[in-house]
Amino acid sequence: MKAIKIFSIIILFFAVNVSAQQISTADLQVTGLTCSMCSNATQKSLETLGFISSVKPDLNKNIFVLTFKKDANVNLDLVRKKVQDAGFSVGGLTANFNFNDVKVDDKGQAVVNGNVYRFVNVKGKTLSGTIKASVVDKDFISGSAFRKQAATANSDAYVSGTGVVNGKKTRIYHLVLS
Amino acid sequence: MRRISVLVLMMISAYASVSAQELYVFTEPASNMPTKSIGVRITNEGMFNYPGYVSRTIPEVMIGFNKNLMMHAQAFLSDMDGKYRLEGGSLYAKYRFLSLDEAHSHFRASAFGRVSASRRPTYTRDINLEGDNSGVQGGLIFTQLLHKLALSSTLGYAHAFENSNRQIAGMPQPKNMLSYSLSSGYLVLPIVYKDYKQPNFNMYLELLGKTDPSSGHSYLDIAPAVQVILNSTTRIDFGYRFQAAGNMDNRYTKNMYLLRAEFNFFNVLK
Repeated sequence: MKAIKIFSIIILFFAVNVSAQQISTADLQVTGLTCSMCSNATQKSLETLGFISSVKPDLNKNIFVLTFKKDANVNLDLVRKKVQDAGFSVGGLTANFNFNDVKVDDKGQAVVNGNVYRFVNVKGKTLSGTIKASVVDKDFISGSAFRKQAATANSDAYVSGTGVVNGKKTRIYHLVLS
Repeated sequence: MRRISVLVLMMISAYASVSAQELYVFTEPASNMPTKSIGVRITNEGMFNYPGYVSRTIPEVMIGFNKNLMMHAQAFLSDMDGKYRLEGGSLYAKYRFLSLDEAHSHFRASAFGRVSASRRPTYTRDINLEGDNSGVQGGLIFTQLLHKLALSSTLGYAHAFENSNRQIAGMPQPKNMLSYSLSSGYLVLPIVYKDYKQPNFNMYLELLGKTDPSSGHSYLDIAPAVQVILNSTTRIDFGYRFQAAGNMDNRYTKNMYLLRAEFNFFNVLK
């Protein structure tokens, strides 16, 4: 009986581990904020997202530290949309991805739980542990930075942010490993 | 000499600590209010030499429909024609069609439209769609935030509806009016942010002008204002507009003070 209990606890432990969250936290830089009222509006807008557990602002640097709920499906496009809804823009988003033997192919592409990532500066490598990476897609960096990145990007999906993966049109996030 | 250099140093350091601010008191910025938010304003405007003291109260509701479209609805009450009464209302909509945001600067452009009704009699060529005239107005707003300076410019064209019933005999009839403004704003306090509870203190200087294209009569006002933001939701404005130059007879809003409280409710709409 006791053995079964221990066994089930171990099984449970692995089950939790397998479905563990992919993104735990993110530093979100917001541009165009000129007053605490603007920051407050952005904060309130972000707090409406169900997968966010906390938003901690640095009002001087206009950075919001986002902590995501465990096992929640984090949608970075929705984070961007909430900032834009408040009337501002994302200047940068650096997230902590929890990867468990994630294989990055020769094109820099990795598929994790259905999410497709393309690394700008990683190819043919296996990533494990907490990986800090920045999203460099359109409207996740400034307009001028995007144009600069687009000129050198070797991903056909960079400009649109979407591409065909396994015969299906899919959102592809482009990441720079820091 | 030493005293002067100390003063200059103090001024430079004061300037360096100042940031841009674009929540203008007498005009609207090209930026919009947040999506799904509601703002409520109560504004009191007053003139001491009308010849006597008169004042107007403007309750106002603002709604942010989406990141690009917002609307204001206003009511006007005043004692400018004797007893204090409801004199009219106005609807204002603003659509942001351009945003170029960079890390330390942004440029935004919006188009706006206004339709107003007022039961006040008309006795001047001047057109003020915030209480004094019935009419329509359309225009453009450009706002540039560049490091420490936020500059905004508004260009508008207004057309007053004919008002034969309430037109005072022998007085000029208002038809069209060109309006233009240049606004600048600074964040003075806090120098270092700690939290949302900290009050913000802002200062503004705006130039507000109008020209009647048919007569060529114009005026230009200088309008300084101060602003306090409390709890990151409530805004208190106080400003005064002085006529710097002008030749428009019996113009509206001449040498007028403005006192306003604004309350914001974020994400209240579904």
